[in-house]
Amino acid sequence: MTWTCEQTEQRLSDYLDGLLNQAEQDAFDAHANLCERCTPMVARVSHLLTKLHGMEELETPPRLVYSILDKTLGPRDSVSGWRTVLRWVRAIASPRFVYGAVSVAATLMVLLTATGFSWRKPKMADLSPVNVYRNADRQVHLVFARGSKFVSDLRVVYEIQSRLHQENEIPTTPEGTLPQSPPDKQPGRTDGTRPSSPRQQNRANGMGHELEVLAAELPILAPRTMQ
Amino acid sequence: MEQDAQLVQQCLQGEGSAWEELVRRHTRRIFNICYRFTGNGTDAEDLSQEVFLRVYRTLGSYRSAHGGFTTWMTSVTRNLLIDHYRRTKRDRITDSLDDAMPVVENKESAGRRPDEQALLGELSGQVQAALTKLSPDLREAVILRDLQQLEYGEIQRILSVPEGTVKSRINRGRIELARILQQLGVRPS
Repeated sequence: MTWTCEQTEQRLSDYLDGLLNQAEQDAFDAHANLCERCTPMVARVSHLLTKLHGMEELETPPRLVYSILDKTLGPRDSVSGWRTVLRWVRAIASPRFVYGAVSVAATLMVLLTATGFSWRKPKMADLSPVNVYRNADRQVHLVFARGSKFVSDLRVVYEIQSRLHQENEIPTTPEGTLPQSPPDKQPGRTDGTRPSSPRQQNRANGMGHELEVLAAELPILAPRTMQ
Repeated sequence: MEQDAQLVQQCLQGEGSAWEELVRRHTRRIFNICYRFTGNGTDAEDLSQEVFLRVYRTLGSYRSAHGGFTTWMTSVTRNLLIDHYRRTKRDRITDSLDDAMPVVENKESAGRRPDEQALLGELSGQVQAALTKLSPDLREAVILRDLQQLEYGEIQRILSVPEGTVKSRINRGRIELARILQQLGVRPS
């Protein structure tokens, strides 16, 4: 089958839409592949179709539907006066709204309490931003100071407990017996180091005594220290 | 299709919600046809409103036996677009004279809102620009076939021309559009 440039142009869409029969398609291909005029035209239109088919639908402008409805059905009724109030009441009477309102109120109460707002003697001045800031700052500092003091107390008590425990664990030598040490070592030491000076020993004894007194004063530690 | 016919019946019985549903179902498609034909967002919005207004007024003349509601509505749209094209022909002649004068600003981007510019950036502005340069007969045929993906038979009913004419217009429209794109510097990859 012979195929001309005019036929190629006339049947191009049929070719691209797959509407040619086999013989026509073969003849079209044979011509389009060789013809200098038709080859770029087929490529251009084929490329165009790919672009056209790849173009997405545009989104509708947001107000267009409402504009159309207003123009056709007329503007929607606007309710005024007590009917508006009634609508509002009906809208907020749903359980979801009530739950939401209760949670918001609870959150506000917690926040106000945290900022030092007095519920017994409420003042409008307490709600001013400056006072809210000051009260909140004060509350935060108070909580921090209390927390620090508590941690510090715990640390002291733990230290005292551990020192007393250490002292109780040191084995005591029976009175009247002397510690036996090899003759080549310094007396009182097993590792060959020099013994602590009398001044250091006095300080250790003094600290032990002070701890015992302190423990006796603290009621929690009293039974242990008495043992 | 059947749902559209049902909604039309309900509209004719005075149900506003049925009309609202029809509007919501078809607005996007009508707006797209109008935009592709005019290449202008404001004109496309105005024309879409005009289309629905006319459909609303002439809903009683629609007969489902003569074809689908979509085809009928597209036909109304097409008639309005052609009317609009004729009405604005004089403006375009003035514009084309202005085009002959040397201008610094790009004519296509001049008069477009920023959102339209962004829209075109995403949706191949060159193809849209080339479309608006096509003659209205070829343009509507290409839009209906290649952008709205309608069958030849539907296009034939919308344009009220024989199928051979539809095919010929689509074919010539595609070749012409490809040629304009080439002139705009778009080449096949």
